[in-house]
Amino acid sequence: MPSVILRDTNLQGNITEKDSITIDGIVVGEIKAEEVIILENGNITGDITADNNIEAGGQITGDLYSERIHLNNSAKIRGKLSHRNLVVDEGAQLEIVSSTRKKITNNNKE
Amino acid sequence: MFFKSDKKNQDQVRGFSHLGENFRFDGEIDCKGEIEIAGKIKGNVKAKKLRILETGIVKGIVQAEDVEVLGHMVGNIDSKNIYIGNKGVIRGNLHFENNLTVLEGADISGHVQKNKKDKVKRSDTDKVKYLEHNKIAS
Repeated sequence: MPSVILRDTNLQGNITEKDSITIDGIVVGEIKAEEVIILENGNITGDITADNNIEAGGQITGDLYSERIHLNNSAKIRGKLSHRNLVVDEGAQLEIVSSTRKKITNNNKE
Repeated sequence: MFFKSDKKNQDQVRGFSHLGENFRFDGEIDCKGEIEIAGKIKGNVKAKKLRILETGIVKGIVQAEDVEVLGHMVGNIDSKNIYIGNKGVIRGNLHFENNLTVLEGADISGHVQKNKKDKVKRSDTDKVKYLEHNKIAS
């Protein structure tokens, strides 16, 4: 079953999840999962690596690695993005370096 | 930072956080509401209500108001109410204030102690006395 972290919850540390993870709370640390969904109240400080998909609607400070990255209109992102597909909605606040790759590996920190 | 954090929607949260079976976490958890753990957690957990499900394993110190252990727990629990299900496994001390419930089949090794909560009460009665004294004096 996928994980859900609501906005009254504060995590400090590294997360590994083989399933989908939805975050509406505060996370300080690295996140690795199959799919990561950051909701409007979500606040992430740390790198996010997702195999399939990252939906970003909250505030993220850190690097994002995923097949597909979707930045929603409420997203506030600062960091580097590596992706194959990138979608940015109108209204997203960004301070990013973005690069499209053919293959996304977990350790492409160059 | 160029981001401004808007502080709306800080009112009550509906529902509870759920950490799934494949969730692995190293670090601290601080939850002001309810949280349910089915994965593996290493680190201290603070919550209002904590439920460790049958597949859940928590290694660390737990501080909460209500704790329900249906899975594994290694470390001390400090809570007002503690409930341990029939498949619950505890390795550590239990400190509780109000109620401790242990179902048949639970596996516990550690100290079990009821904490006195008179400290808070005493300061309250002191305050009341002080207020009454002030009333009489004025």
